[in-house]
Amino acid sequence: MNRKHKSDLVILFTTLGLMALGLIVIYAIGPMRANVLNNTYGTNYGANDFFLGQLRSVVLALIAFFVAFKVIPYKYIQKFAKPLIIFALVLSGLLWVMSMAGSSLVKCELGECRWFQLGSVSFQPAEVLKLALVVYLADFLARKREEGKIGDFKEFWLPVIIVCGLSLGLVVVAQGDLGTGVALIAIIFGMFLIAGVPSWQYLLMLAIVVTVAVGSVAMSSHRMERVDAWVATLTGGESSDSTYHIENAMLAIGTGGFAGVGIGNSVQATGYLPESINDSVFAIMGETFGFVGLFLVIGVFCIMLLRMLKVANYTKDETNRFLVIGVFSWTLAQVIVNIMAMTSLVPVTGITLPLLSYGGTSMLFIAFGIGLVCQLSCYTSREGIKHENISSRGRQRGSHYSSRRRHS
Amino acid sequence: MQRIRILKYITLGAFLIIAVRLFFIQIIEHDAWVAKANEQHTMLETITAKRGEIYMMDGSEPVAVVLNQAVYQIIIDPAVTPKDDIKNTLEKYAKDYITADFDEIYAIEGLRYYIVAKNVPYSIATEIAKQGIANVWMKEGNGRVYPEGEVGSTVLGFVNSDGLGQYGIEGSLNNILKGEDGLLKSISDVNNVALSIGKDNVKIEAEDGQDVVLSIDRGLERGVEEVLAGAINDTAATNAAALVMNPNTGEVVAMTSLPGYNPGDYGKVKDASAYINQVTEIAYEPASIFKNFIFSAAINEGKMTADTTYFNTPFTEVDGNQIWNAEQRAILNNQNLTMRDALYWSLNVGSIQALKFLGDNPDEITATGRERMYDYYTNKFRLGHATGIELIEAEGFIWDPHAEIYGLNAAYANMTFGQNLSATMIQTATAFSAVVNGGVWRTPSVVKGTLKDGTITPLENHEKIEDQILSTETSATMRSLLINNRSYKARAGIDRAGYDVGGKSGTAQVVVNGAYDDSMSNLVGSYIGFVAPSGSMPEYVIMVKMWGEGQALSGGEAQSLFDTLSNYVIDYLKIKPSGV
Repeated sequence: MNRKHKSDLVILFTTLGLMALGLIVIYAIGPMRANVLNNTYGTNYGANDFFLGQLRSVVLALIAFFVAFKVIPYKYIQKFAKPLIIFALVLSGLLWVMSMAGSSLVKCELGECRWFQLGSVSFQPAEVLKLALVVYLADFLARKREEGKIGDFKEFWLPVIIVCGLSLGLVVVAQGDLGTGVALIAIIFGMFLIAGVPSWQYLLMLAIVVTVAVGSVAMSSHRMERVDAWVATLTGGESSDSTYHIENAMLAIGTGGFAGVGIGNSVQATGYLPESINDSVFAIMGETFGFVGLFLVIGVFCIMLLRMLKVANYTKDETNRFLVIGVFSWTLAQVIVNIMAMTSLVPVTGITLPLLSYGGTSMLFIAFGIGLVCQLSCYTSREGIKHENISSRGRQRGSHYSSRRRHS
Repeated sequence: MQRIRILKYITLGAFLIIAVRLFFIQIIEHDAWVAKANEQHTMLETITAKRGEIYMMDGSEPVAVVLNQAVYQIIIDPAVTPKDDIKNTLEKYAKDYITADFDEIYAIEGLRYYIVAKNVPYSIATEIAKQGIANVWMKEGNGRVYPEGEVGSTVLGFVNSDGLGQYGIEGSLNNILKGEDGLLKSISDVNNVALSIGKDNVKIEAEDGQDVVLSIDRGLERGVEEVLAGAINDTAATNAAALVMNPNTGEVVAMTSLPGYNPGDYGKVKDASAYINQVTEIAYEPASIFKNFIFSAAINEGKMTADTTYFNTPFTEVDGNQIWNAEQRAILNNQNLTMRDALYWSLNVGSIQALKFLGDNPDEITATGRERMYDYYTNKFRLGHATGIELIEAEGFIWDPHAEIYGLNAAYANMTFGQNLSATMIQTATAFSAVVNGGVWRTPSVVKGTLKDGTITPLENHEKIEDQILSTETSATMRSLLINNRSYKARAGIDRAGYDVGGKSGTAQVVVNGAYDDSMSNLVGSYIGFVAPSGSMPEYVIMVKMWGEGQALSGGEAQSLFDTLSNYVIDYLKIKPSGV
């Protein structure tokens, strides 16, 4: 390992900046959200309840971030890669079993049971699973590369299929959480790409995932409805209940114009746009801050993500590099899918915008993940890993496969 | 490192696509989205103007007979309002006000707004609000209260659930009563609560409607209706209408047609004809009452006097038609009679004779006679034309003197005794007022004016015509003839001493299947008359009409009703006899 040096300040400050921005936006629209919920569901939220909730989340996320950044060495966490993934899977499994049993400790919303509810604290195990999968795959892929077993069916694909299959099954099928499913798939694909899975296997994996995704959408009327709604908004078709969410997200972004309507002047947040403080916060930001504001926000995300890639590129230790790529993929997937859904570039899937959306668990774990990236940014080498590149290994393995083919 | 570069390109590519997309939505399509947002966010709410109240007179004091009370519309969002909760609550508290079939509206996909109850009184609305059902809204509106119940219903009319006045004064003076609604235009949240965000918020205050005072006397109106109800009870009549007006001012003090209805419960009326004011909205054949008008015309033109004689026959032949007298007594037939006798016995041959005199030829009806009669009927008495009273009015029909029809003279002969034409009761009574009041035709009126701070201001735009159409001498002659008509009533003590009561009956044959029903089994009885202190000008003109489908109601029965009514009017309005 390289000698420890100063961490990447760009990642640190973009993270802190985004959290602060999220806090400001929630501060502005929280009272409206409370008002809407009180009027619609007869709840009794105070004007600042959502801001205080977000403040609590940010404080917890900051603690998680600095714990990951400064307190727990990644090498130590790496030792627990296996127990961690088992723990996360058990947790998700437990949620599923308990929800089937109708336990009061499980919180369900709109028919999907994704949260444990312990008193006033709710907790989403899928978020643990994302982090655990990144940690596990980083360790697993590094070991398999050392053993030269990447792409081997029994040594590589079998455990991958079991762990990833279980994770996806629990999240997508049991919890009906397509958003987290997309994030998991992005993590797997991102890490596998860098781990040097042979191109043909990688493409085959892609083909299988695409087929399954298309198939599952076509077979589920609920998902098909979302796709229909998406097509309708793209082609200017008839409005319906299904297109309501996308249309109002677009309406918020569109009315923002160049400079936005200003903080506290959002009309869409007064109840027109569903999920205005969670999944749709980007649209409200579009209305509030306009094109300039959104351009800055996506710019900040872009810089943060490119810095992560740079850290990965300059990280010699493979476990470390894979972990950075895992966190990168996770963040990228959430940012891109969330924003593209809000701008009607892809169908709507419930997925939060990292560091900005209201929601404790999601922010806590991604902050922890980014904290780890910051920690590992202290161990980069001065030079990129130009020579020890994957393409050369690929070639070596290429010959390895051809010899295997001869055997068979 | 190639593969990391792939991720870099994916990242940059995705953000580039997003940036371009944002530019497209926020810069290029901005105006379109703003327009769409305004459509969605702008709440237009009318501030309902308070509807004017309606007063009748109680002696010389106006007294409110139509009041307002706040009522509520109950609105739900079927997508989120719990169906069973709202359905059960409404059925429990506001059963009579429900306007929705819950199964039906909850089956409609995408329905987000529905008015499930209307005209709910405040107390019931409060009870429903207490249940705290989510997503139920109440919208305040004006409801009408009619404390007099059915009294004056056909004059008052009602206000429908859309707030629009229907029939009666509510309908005819809707524009004065309703006022001008105000407007609240604002940016609102999803629950239609106005937000302070909008720059273009507008508020225009409502302009309340004006209170209207009728010339109708509340107590007299009620009394007249009771008398009429009694007459319906005692005779074959199913319907009756009456009108009491001051011939010297044109003011109507009582106007009714029965059966009426309760305007506060107008929806329960089964036969919609109950809404109709028979006095102003229905033109009919008033029959022999019209003899007053041909007599007035001939006397006024100096073509005859009350003492002019003619040779009375059982019938006369016009255009090959035999037109018979209803009264066939030996003492009348084939005798020389005065025109006074002709009116007393209501002889059709006599009234046709008046038309002949009018046309300068005692032996036949001439074109000149027709022209003069037409001029009197339509231009002077204004029969067959709306009078201009502040109510919904029917016109009527008078044959043109040069109409190209077979039997035009026969038609004119019929018109001398009020058949083969049509006119409303108000037209007839207004013309009759001119006959007895000294010869002045005055626009009748049922409204004194608008009331503000205790002061009554006459309505603008209500043209009041005063037209001297007969000489005072003609009018005096006609009064004496009309009093003479009732000379036997005076002897019978029905018409009290100290009063001059004059009148004329009419028994109209009804057209059944396009021809007059000669079986005399289907008749409409009318009577018109005046009351005056002896030797003075008439103070009130009273007209009554009685009828019933397939029933024979003669002028005699109408006369009995008039007898009761004229005495009631004298008592109620405290008309002093002469010499007191």
